[in-house]
Amino acid sequence: MKKVMVHPERCVGCMQCMAACATAHSQTKCLLTAIAETPLPKPRVHVGAGLYGEGFPNRCRHCDPAPCLLACLPGAISRHRDTDTVIINPDICINCASCAMACPFGVIRYHQDMTAAPGKTVAVKCDNCMARQRAGLNPACVEICKSGALTFEEPAAGLKRKTDEVARSVSVCAEGLPSAPGFALLNAVKKAQAGLSKM
Amino acid sequence: MNYVIVGNGVAGISAAEAIRQLDPGGRLTMIAAETFPPYCRPMISLLLEGAVTPEKLPIRPPSFYEQLQIQPILGDSVVSLDVPNRMMHTRQGRTVAFDRLLIATGADPNPIPAMKPGMKNVFFMRTEVQVRQMLDVLPQVRQALVLGGGLVGFKAAYALLHRGLQATMLIRSDYPLAMQVDDQAGKMILKELVGHGLEVKVGVDVTGFDGVEKVTRAHLSDGTDLPCDLVIVSKGVSPALSFVSGDQIKVNQGIVVDEYLATTAAGIFAAGDVAEARDITRGTCRINAIWPEAVDQGRLAGMNMAGRRVAYRGSLGRNVIRIFDLDVMTGGLVHPPAEPAYEVHSALDLRRRTYRKLVFHQDRLVGIIMVNAIDQGGILLSLIRSRMPLAIPREQMLSPAFNYRTLLR
Ligand SMILES: Cc1cc2nc3c(=O)[nH]c(=O)nc-3n(C[C@H](O)[C@H](O)[C@H](O)COP(=O)(O)OP(=O)(O)OC[C@H]3O[C@@H](n4cnc5c(N)ncnc54)[C@H](O)[C@@H]3O)c2cc1C
Repeated sequence: MKKVMVHPERCVGCMQCMAACATAHSQTKCLLTAIAETPLPKPRVHVGAGLYGEGFPNRCRHCDPAPCLLACLPGAISRHRDTDTVIINPDICINCASCAMACPFGVIRYHQDMTAAPGKTVAVKCDNCMARQRAGLNPACVEICKSGALTFEEPAAGLKRKTDEVARSVSVCAEGLPSAPGFALLNAVKKAQAGLSKM
Repeated sequence: MNYVIVGNGVAGISAAEAIRQLDPGGRLTMIAAETFPPYCRPMISLLLEGAVTPEKLPIRPPSFYEQLQIQPILGDSVVSLDVPNRMMHTRQGRTVAFDRLLIATGADPNPIPAMKPGMKNVFFMRTEVQVRQMLDVLPQVRQALVLGGGLVGFKAAYALLHRGLQATMLIRSDYPLAMQVDDQAGKMILKELVGHGLEVKVGVDVTGFDGVEKVTRAHLSDGTDLPCDLVIVSKGVSPALSFVSGDQIKVNQGIVVDEYLATTAAGIFAAGDVAEARDITRGTCRINAIWPEAVDQGRLAGMNMAGRRVAYRGSLGRNVIRIFDLDVMTGGLVHPPAEPAYEVHSALDLRRRTYRKLVFHQDRLVGIIMVNAIDQGGILLSLIRSRMPLAIPREQMLSPAFNYRTLLR
């Protein structure tokens, strides 16, 4: 089963995944019209800034066992076995924020959503774009990501690639060569800038 | 294997599910005083508020017992436990034998001396039955009185305010939720509640009630009287362990359990509000009577009962509450001892109405209070649980922009 994988070292912080995610979870599925919808569609992936302004597309890891699922008071959170996705049922959710305490990654947000009853604030998070996957599409955040920070692949293949990268990096000739050179440079610049602005 | 679970709260049902996962063939019996299908206890305040109907309370289907091949004994309670002979006696005269036993009986509300038997409209708020009884009399209620400003008292008052009822809350401390929050957050909470019409009297208690059949008036410790026709008593809870003899099983405040949720008696386990396990931030045993710990402890107790040794990492007191436009999250040690090893950092932004306080013990985070902007609180709580040494600047953790990326190198 393919899964979304995050490669933080490649994130440039462009936030396109956020816009794509919000659009994918809108009624009209088109950015131009989505921004006029009520409730306003919101992203399930959040690009947070690190200590030096480096980006990181933070999204639900669909943990197993999932702390949010275990902590949910009304039993609104369940696992969809076919896609290995942790989902929140907006009809059962009581907006108690117990899942906010449970999530070690801070990926859950609370707002109105087109999937919930009008006017009802509910817990919202990544659903692995199940609707898009059913239609044969990749998750929206992956589709839009140009830098390779988000990929949709078999976990085994992704792991193999990472292992190979590590293996290459320990060879003597490759010494000092980062696995994603351009991105490492970008982040080094950001770090230096953050350092300068503090002086 | 003959498993018996006492209590069908969330600790009991989580244990039953874990046992069934590992041991599909074992005999499993559950004895429980309540007959309603396994339900979400915290939601009873939403029932009082009128936000949900009773059908919304169950968290498992009515077929729960059948599906898991559990023999349910509902509406009966255990009155004595005979440890050497490995059996229990119930109020209705049953004798139930066990090989492995889980005590998951939760807690009972603490009574107050002023309560008299037969005085109507004076309630506890612990079960769905109690709230249904409140709902029956609610149409006649004009003046409600809530005793205690803990989590349950607060929820009761909040529900009554939502109903548009006149409510007065009597609390011993200067602000509600004094166990969970500090002065600053407490005052913000108090202001929010008072702003929405709650009357709060601090430093007073009830000494007696008047009323022929129903309560009509309360006498207060400051010598004044207060008319009232509904009283909700929420002066804390005590573990429901009257059937457990302290000579046979070690009992402090609750039933003492080790890291495998085992009591000092072989083959007998305890979980949930009745159990006293090691507290992560204090390092000593303590009852953290909250839902997520009851789930965790129940699950792990079930696994250990079924023979899979899984250690529990200890409990962490934590709460999140929404109070009209105020969100409050707290966890761990929020009132640290005045020792140099503890360091407190806080940030208050009155314009945005946010407050954040972090308590550190040396290089580890041990406590948090957050008012509003609570989305990232789970990250901080998980840092407390994992006892991770922290190298990042502490002001960064106080910033509303704090996020998971901040922790990565
Ligand atoms: C109004 C209210 C709001 C709450 N809100 C929150 C919240 O927001 N967040 C949170 O984390 N926690 C909250 N809690 C606390 C939470 O409900 C408890 O921590 C949790 O229910 C504990 O589960 P338990 O299974 O240990 O015990 P319980 O849920 O108390 O279940 C124990 C069961 O055992 C039965 N029993 C007791 N003695 C016997 C006996 N001798 N024989 C047979 N059966 C027996 C009882 O009748 C009961 O059904 C709230 C509690 C209340 C009352």
